[in-house]
Amino acid sequence: MAEQIIKPDVNFINDVVAAGGESVKKCFQCATCSVVCNVTPEDNPFPRKEMIHAQWGLKDKLISNPDVWLCHQCSDCTAYCPRGAKPGEVLGAVRKLSIQHYATPSFLAKAVGSPKALIGLLAVPVIIFILALIMQGHSFIPEGRIVYAEKFMKVPYIDVIFSAAALFAVVGFVMGISRYWKDLTRNIEISSNPWQRKVKGPMIAIIFETILEFITHKRFKKCEVTKDRANTHLFVFFGFVGLAITTTWAIAYLYGYEFFGITAFSVFHFGESPYPLYDPMKIVGNVSAVLLLAGILQVITNRRKNAEKAGSGSYFDWLFIGIITSIVVTGILSEVLRLVDIGTEDGLRLADLRILAYPTYFIHLVSVFFLFAYAPFSKMAHMVYRTTALVFARYSGREEKKY
Amino acid sequence: MAENKKVLIVGGGFSGLTAAVETAEAGFEVIIVEKTPFFGGRVTQLNKYFPKLCPPNCGLEMNYKRIKNSGDITFYTLAEVEKISGQEGSYDVTLKINPRFVNDKCVGCNACAEVCPVEMSNEFNFGLNKTKAAYITHNQAFPFLYAIDGKHCKGASCAKCVAACKYEAIDLNMKPQTINVNVGAIVLATGWDVYDIAKLDNLGGGKVANVISNMQMERLASPNGPTGGKILRPSDNKPAKNIAFVQCAGSRDENHLPYCSYICCMASMKQAIYVREQYKDAKATVFYIDLRTPGRYEQFYWKVKDDPNVSFIKGKVANIIEDPETKDVIVEAEDIMAGKKIKVKFDMVVLAAGMVPSTKSAKIPGDITYTPDGFVAAASLKKGIYAVGTLKSPVDVARSVQDATGVAIKSIQSARR
Repeated sequence: MAEQIIKPDVNFINDVVAAGGESVKKCFQCATCSVVCNVTPEDNPFPRKEMIHAQWGLKDKLISNPDVWLCHQCSDCTAYCPRGAKPGEVLGAVRKLSIQHYATPSFLAKAVGSPKALIGLLAVPVIIFILALIMQGHSFIPEGRIVYAEKFMKVPYIDVIFSAAALFAVVGFVMGISRYWKDLTRNIEISSNPWQRKVKGPMIAIIFETILEFITHKRFKKCEVTKDRANTHLFVFFGFVGLAITTTWAIAYLYGYEFFGITAFSVFHFGESPYPLYDPMKIVGNVSAVLLLAGILQVITNRRKNAEKAGSGSYFDWLFIGIITSIVVTGILSEVLRLVDIGTEDGLRLADLRILAYPTYFIHLVSVFFLFAYAPFSKMAHMVYRTTALVFARYSGREEKKY
Repeated sequence: MAENKKVLIVGGGFSGLTAAVETAEAGFEVIIVEKTPFFGGRVTQLNKYFPKLCPPNCGLEMNYKRIKNSGDITFYTLAEVEKISGQEGSYDVTLKINPRFVNDKCVGCNACAEVCPVEMSNEFNFGLNKTKAAYITHNQAFPFLYAIDGKHCKGASCAKCVAACKYEAIDLNMKPQTINVNVGAIVLATGWDVYDIAKLDNLGGGKVANVISNMQMERLASPNGPTGGKILRPSDNKPAKNIAFVQCAGSRDENHLPYCSYICCMASMKQAIYVREQYKDAKATVFYIDLRTPGRYEQFYWKVKDDPNVSFIKGKVANIIEDPETKDVIVEAEDIMAGKKIKVKFDMVVLAAGMVPSTKSAKIPGDITYTPDGFVAAASLKKGIYAVGTLKSPVDVARSVQDATGVAIKSIQSARR
């Protein structure tokens, strides 16, 4: 065997421990995990090798290792682990470190991963939206019927703030992913390692295949111990897809009306929000919100239910879950309060809903901003890194065989 | 305090027998009680045992002879301790003696078993075959008296054995007896059970016909076992020539037994030799996490390793399934050295199941504390009560014997107080 020089990074071991992989040192390399894992390739299976790499602080072998993203944290490994070393949790911690490693700027990556910085991170959108309200000269609790756009946060403000947040995220993702891809492909041509052999295949087809996998959650459904997770994740996934469609649709309505002067025709209501409930865009939006709510509540119950077998998850996981829950709960609540408000006659109000409605909507805006702006640094980034890793796995031949 | 020279030994396995004869030969009166109808414990069930790989009788027979020759040993089979009270130098113990239904007139002619209509699982062979309710475990059992299983026997309504016995050795009306004894010291030597492989859901235990435990393997290889010493697999009685040994089947696993059972690596290597000696073309594959060969046993490993037909694969087996057509067993592991997940077919798989102290399921009456795993917490035992061998931690026969010999001295000291 050729001589290999390994470069242990002691800090990395500590980082893994701090990121929720505190059980890593319990591993005694029996390889039960690799065998019970249903989603690993047969050659060079994970997560046994990742466990020893983490114990030894071999950061280079983990940060750019696509295998950590092939892992879906089924926790079959964790349940069968004879030592309580929780490989599922350790790989989760490595994924967090991988996201943080590639994300720019790195101080923001650190902040999102740290509970201490939460207040500061929340303060950014809170201040932005308060300034926006002041600039519009709007009261925090406007008088009269509840109208979020006109009386509270006008469309141009929303558009400018969120476009900026989204742009910031996109730039962050592009920078992170290009560095990740560079690391992934660095040794691809010269490596004698069969799983790094480049397959000549059209990238488009590979991407298409990967997207198809996401739509069906085919791989995720191979999980056993936490088999309900694939379905709940599917709910959340399609909830997000639906809300993304809704947002695009809403933009088309608004700017179709403003720029092209298209007005309502049939059931399609180009023009100014709020749109009626029977508008197809509104239906898609509401259905998606319900999907997302059902999904995220299931995620929370499942995680609690499986905590003993699968581990209870890290701050990184729960921050992400918390933000999504906050978005969907405040979103639905804002809408319901507004509808209830319309449903009552003036002077017959049972209670003044405004006091509840505007702060709820404010929290909703803050949460959405948080999700958008910090996406490249939070667990939200998993969608981008996992997609990239799965594309690479197919592209490199890592997954020539059926998983 | 008055001198009390009696010592009670609970358990008639190798440790208990050793403690009994050593104590008696020092001039003390010994009472030894055994729960089953026969002495010899786990060692009797082995084909060969370490360190010299001799058959069990080469050690046990000598002990039986010493028991017979010593006038100071009273032994009871089918006996259980019901109550312990008192203190060092004077313990009052209540013993319950269950009926054997066979008296000392038995000559071991087998006539009773021939006519007995009741079949039951042969627990001496770990359920590998059946036995009659009137039975003897093997041809060198001690005491050499048949026993009738009270749970399975139909009793007076059948009584075919009574008619068949020419020696008036059977009495189906025997009743349990309770006796009280006063002793100066008590030695607990109730030994161990093999871990229930049915609990290893991913290893096919209890589900896959040709997956057996290491203790079942001992019975298969033993000349007085169910196959007369031929290593045949349970599903079709074909010679099992390609055998996998799965180490740490339950041991070193916090979901099962969190400790190392100490003996299983050596047992599997020994059993690999059984197969290799029996069939010229036999192959044995040992799947392990780490091979643990304490002390000089390492040399044994070197010897086994030199056999080209015995291979060692680093990687714990975590999945076992049955080929439904051939009943072969498919074993899945990660070959760590090769960095590959492998699936290999075998004729039969032996799970190196771990050691569970008998006190995990059957607590000894009295003020005794246990570790979370069911071992006797020796340090907290009352003065004059001693635990031996596998009751304290997993050990091999040799260490049990050493321990029992040491405890004999301790119990003599207590009996003199």
